[in-house]
Amino acid sequence: MNRTLKIKKFNENFIKIVFYIAALFSIIAVAAIFVFLFIQGIPAISKIGLFNFLLGSKWDILHGIDYYTSSTLQGSYGIATTIIGTVYVTLFATLIGGVIGVFTAIFLSRFCPKKLKNILSQLVNLLAGIPSVIYGFFGLNVIQPLLGKFSDNGSGTGILSVSIILAIMILPTIIAISKNSLDAVPDSYYEASRALGDSHSQSVFGAILPAAKSGIVTSIILGVGRAIGETMAVALLCGNATVFPNGMFGAFSTMTSHIVNGLGELQPNQVAFGAMVATGFVLFIFVLIINLLFQFVNRKRDDNKKTIRTVFFKNKSKIFAVFLKCLSYITSILSIVSLGIIVLYIFIKGLPNITSSMFAITGTYSGSPTILPSIISTLMLVFLSLIIAVPIGIGASIFLSEYTKSSNKLIKVIRIGIETLASIPSIIYALFGAAFFVYALKFGVSILSGALTISLMIIPVIIRSCEESLKTVPDSYREGSYALGSGKIRTIFKIIIPSALSGILSSVILSIGRIVSESAPLLFTMGGGKMTIIPTSFMSSGTSLSVLMYAFSGENKYMNECWATASILLIIIFTLNLLSTLIVRKFNIKKR
Amino acid sequence: MNNLEKIQNNKSIKVKIKNINLFYDNYQALKDVSFDIFENEITALIGPSGCGKSTLLRCINRMNDLIPNCKINGIIDIDSKNIYNKDMDVNELRKNVGMVFQKPNPFSMSIYDNVAYGPRTHGIKKKQQLDRIVKESLEKAYMWEEVKDRLNKSALSLSGGQQQRLCIARALAVNPKIILLDEATSALDPTSTSKIEDLINNLKKDYTIIIVTHNMQQATRIADKTAFFLSGELVEYDKTENIFSKPQDIRTEKYITGRFG
Repeated sequence: MNRTLKIKKFNENFIKIVFYIAALFSIIAVAAIFVFLFIQGIPAISKIGLFNFLLGSKWDILHGIDYYTSSTLQGSYGIATTIIGTVYVTLFATLIGGVIGVFTAIFLSRFCPKKLKNILSQLVNLLAGIPSVIYGFFGLNVIQPLLGKFSDNGSGTGILSVSIILAIMILPTIIAISKNSLDAVPDSYYEASRALGDSHSQSVFGAILPAAKSGIVTSIILGVGRAIGETMAVALLCGNATVFPNGMFGAFSTMTSHIVNGLGELQPNQVAFGAMVATGFVLFIFVLIINLLFQFVNRKRDDNKKTIRTVFFKNKSKIFAVFLKCLSYITSILSIVSLGIIVLYIFIKGLPNITSSMFAITGTYSGSPTILPSIISTLMLVFLSLIIAVPIGIGASIFLSEYTKSSNKLIKVIRIGIETLASIPSIIYALFGAAFFVYALKFGVSILSGALTISLMIIPVIIRSCEESLKTVPDSYREGSYALGSGKIRTIFKIIIPSALSGILSSVILSIGRIVSESAPLLFTMGGGKMTIIPTSFMSSGTSLSVLMYAFSGENKYMNECWATASILLIIIFTLNLLSTLIVRKFNIKKR
Repeated sequence: MNNLEKIQNNKSIKVKIKNINLFYDNYQALKDVSFDIFENEITALIGPSGCGKSTLLRCINRMNDLIPNCKINGIIDIDSKNIYNKDMDVNELRKNVGMVFQKPNPFSMSIYDNVAYGPRTHGIKKKQQLDRIVKESLEKAYMWEEVKDRLNKSALSLSGGQQQRLCIARALAVNPKIILLDEATSALDPTSTSKIEDLINNLKKDYTIIIVTHNMQQATRIADKTAFFLSGELVEYDKTENIFSKPQDIRTEKYITGRFG
């Protein structure tokens, strides 16, 4: 074999291996998290006893003596109260959010004027990116005082307020996915129904809605997934008492809030830390069950399409259709107004409170606090996370879209790894990051640990969206390039990546939004204190803006600063969203 | 076949196809296909959809390598060298055997960069040299005058016919010996089609051209030789006028008279 050919082949293989390793990363990460959950959780459970752990209703740990080395375990480690709390709020939130979300989607898809539809759909997408801390803060300061008027003790804390906020939080997910599946129903269904003499409303609820059923179920399942894993908003609202919820009011805990509240004081050598990890494991099992459900629905989707049955709307009464139509109008107003009020309220309360002293180089927490150190920490976090996550994410997506034409078993495993990584609740990343990066690798509570933890979270997001945009590059481009004698590397870097660049860029920008808005995984890996000085290196601890809001909102002293920070966060998120939309639009125009 | 060889004594064989069998998984798409393609001629491959003509065309520049589960047995000699030999550099092969596809597929870059893409792939970096290649290639494709003032415009702004001629120019830019055209005019209007047919006819003197076509008139208009395929088999191969005026095989006759296919 001649020499240049050998070198060419070596180069092609070398690059392939680089992409391959990037793709393998997801499996490694999932495996590491699993192993960690086991290693940390199992000894604690065996020490506590599975029965006592899952069914025990009392959580009362004695600090300082709950080490694995202690001969007898003192204190109680039952998490039954938190499991029940999670089930309650998830159920109520899904019920409220599901009904409102689905009917809003019906309105947007079939009753809304076209111009309004585009604006509202954009708006809903935008609202999906609002940090959960902001929802929590809004609930704490607006919803709970309102609800307090109806409770016996005057406090709005409890199942009801958490469920309402969670319902609002899952609205964008449910609306967006339901709307897509409603939009995808072929016109012929609608026309067939109209041809039989049905009214517009009758056709929408009789023919279109049943055809979109599986997509709607999927959206609700994803909503459940989001609600069950939500941490910071719940932690701010639930009152954090490890007791069984009793009625609509009164403090309680969920699994996520329980972990986020307890973890801060614990070290990996304590049984309580293991118990927290085990709690995360239980949460993870809940999420896995939801995922299985999701896959089951997706698999069934094809069967559903074969028969159009009017399950939802058998009697075809005109009055009932009109009633459903009114319901969809009302729920739309409700969801748009509730989401709109949050944004407006934050801007009204926050924008006037942005003062120059908030951007001072140093600040004190007796007088005027500064958020500049947090802004710098956030920027450092974004920078470092992107450096870690973007190459791995793009590399993996290239491997999946360009090197895996044959359905290899390993590829399937990689895909499952990515899906799993994407569905792990953020609080589990928090546990993993704290135990692995902070303690095991001894990076300490630092920007580096925070960036590593958050990278794990955004890698699957980047992989998915980059793969989507790589898939939109027509195969004819690849053929055209190969037919000219270009090798794979040149085809990838000169043809495929440039053609998919707008999609790749917008996914990177959206992942910046994710980094800025995440808080739970950063609290224990990067730091949660109120900062007074600017961090000097990646090994310093730092509080990102979202985490700072969490820290602020615990104290009544800094309400103005908190509203101001919230509005700054919203501006950042909205700007990033706008930027990514503009990039996609500009590239598309250029292609014409 | 005998009289064909007699006629062709003065021309040299460019591509020798010997006992090609091709399988997609268990489906056999080509069955023991053997024939010779002569230099500086236009050879047309015709036959109903799914007869294997495009598959055979894609064997000649090994584009079928990109399809998973595709197995090829047999020999294809180009200039007496088997392209399925282990030490064949596929990229080098594809440089020598250009291809134009059914749907125009210019890259989403400028007209200039489209034509220069191939030469750049093969290591030409000098601006002057690239300028010359781009100009010559576009001239050969009859489109220099049309686009010389907007070489930096996106190739996607061209019309379908222009895009296809650009793709031909792009293929010519790497200086191939053989050009494969896979139904290159089937997506175009009659005016663009006749422009491209003129162009192909003119390229014949410098290149060996193999076309796959659904359009039998096109084969009669431009092809020197025509090969008729049916369900993966080569049924008949002869001078074009013989195929269309006195076919030897009853199946060929049925096809060209439109009785099946």
